Amino acid sequence: MSRPELSGHASIFYNEREARKYNSSSRMVNVQREITLRAIELLLLSPDKASYILDIGCGSGLSGQVLEEKGHIWVGCDVSRDMLQVAHERIDDSFDGNNKNVENDEGSDEVHDPPLSTGDLLHHDMGTGLPFRPATFDACISISALQWLCYSNSASQNPKRRLLRFFSQLYAILKKSARAVLQFYPETAEQAVLISECATAVGFGGGVVVDYPNSTKAKKHYLVLSCDRTSSKQVQQSMPSVEEQTHVSVSAASRKGIDKPIRKKKGIKTKEWIIKKKETQRKRGKSVRPDTKYTARRRPTKF
Amino acid sequence: MRNNTKEADGKGFPLRITAVEVRVVDNPDATNVGQREIDFVKNMLPVLDWPALVQAASQLGIPTLPPQLTEQLAQDPAFLQALYHILMNVHLVKGMLTCPASGREFPVTDGIVNMMLEEEECERVRV
Repeated sequence: MSRPELSGHASIFYNEREARKYNSSSRMVNVQREITLRAIELLLLSPDKASYILDIGCGSGLSGQVLEEKGHIWVGCDVSRDMLQVAHERIDDSFDGNNKNVENDEGSDEVHDPPLSTGDLLHHDMGTGLPFRPATFDACISISALQWLCYSNSASQNPKRRLLRFFSQLYAILKKSARAVLQFYPETAEQAVLISECATAVGFGGGVVVDYPNSTKAKKHYLVLSCDRTSSKQVQQSMPSVEEQTHVSVSAASRKGIDKPIRKKKGIKTKEWIIKKKETQRKRGKSVRPDTKYTARRRPTKF
Repeated sequence: MRNNTKEADGKGFPLRITAVEVRVVDNPDATNVGQREIDFVKNMLPVLDWPALVQAASQLGIPTLPPQLTEQLAQDPAFLQALYHILMNVHLVKGMLTCPASGREFPVTDGIVNMMLEEEECERVRV
């Protein structure tokens, strides 16, 4: 798939048609859902507390929907007015009492299934800073949006300046010990480095977690940031467990056949293998040459 | 509405609200606010700028908020419930937010506030 980032500004790409398409494509919805669930998992939020979460690049509110199901209260901002319109319609529907289609997770009879949508929307460009008061949010998520900041659409837009402005303001508006999980699709390795460099430059601790690292299609980059400097150690400690999960998901992916591990070429016909093979042939009553010191020995090269 | 009161534009805070259309959602079980929500409001109290919230609420036509937030009030579950209702169920559908410092206006349509800025209007960042 070609990269939409190259075609111009996000608000131009995500026009009305594209926004409707985005929300009606079940594949897109599922992918977004999966990423959001993973991002929430990485946030390490306490499940029995409602948190106040900022969703940057909320688009049509798919990620907000997941946050609502988890009982959190969110504010979304996006640069595309048409995407926000789609999100707004859904939120409006929930006020009109058409929220029956919000499915309850099986077995969970928790009281906190909010009857109304708990989202608020903002038409805003994240590259121009974030219009909130300091220490407002408990957490921040961003799904497939950060890479848009790496492209400049006019002469006055400097990607690095925009990234730095974004991260420094994000740092300010998050509460102490809050976390931010930002999922993004870097076009090149340099982009991923640039983004994480900008994040650490303003004081964030943390790093990039990669899910499905050896698949081009399913590969996902998560930038996990933590505000508290003292907890950066804790972040590192929690990283191994994250990597473990990554390994699990990798093996799950290979089972699905998304990507097969590269088989080692060396050592298929080893001495043990040949002796074992001869043994089975002998058991079947075939005439097999006896095992000697010449068995499975390499032939000399001709020249 | 909650966020509208909280947004700051540089040093400009709070934003003045000019409401054209306000929608108060009638929650049938408004009294049935769970413990989770009450905990949330308690959590939000230090974040809220109380005078700004009172001002914003009166600009939206809700004069019922007490002018001062006392310790005792912060423990009262009935008050917290009412506050949750104000924070979550009052929406500014159409109107204008005005920055008190610069006079810059942010229009609100369909409940979405337009906060798009030009590059020149942004904070300078050294690269």
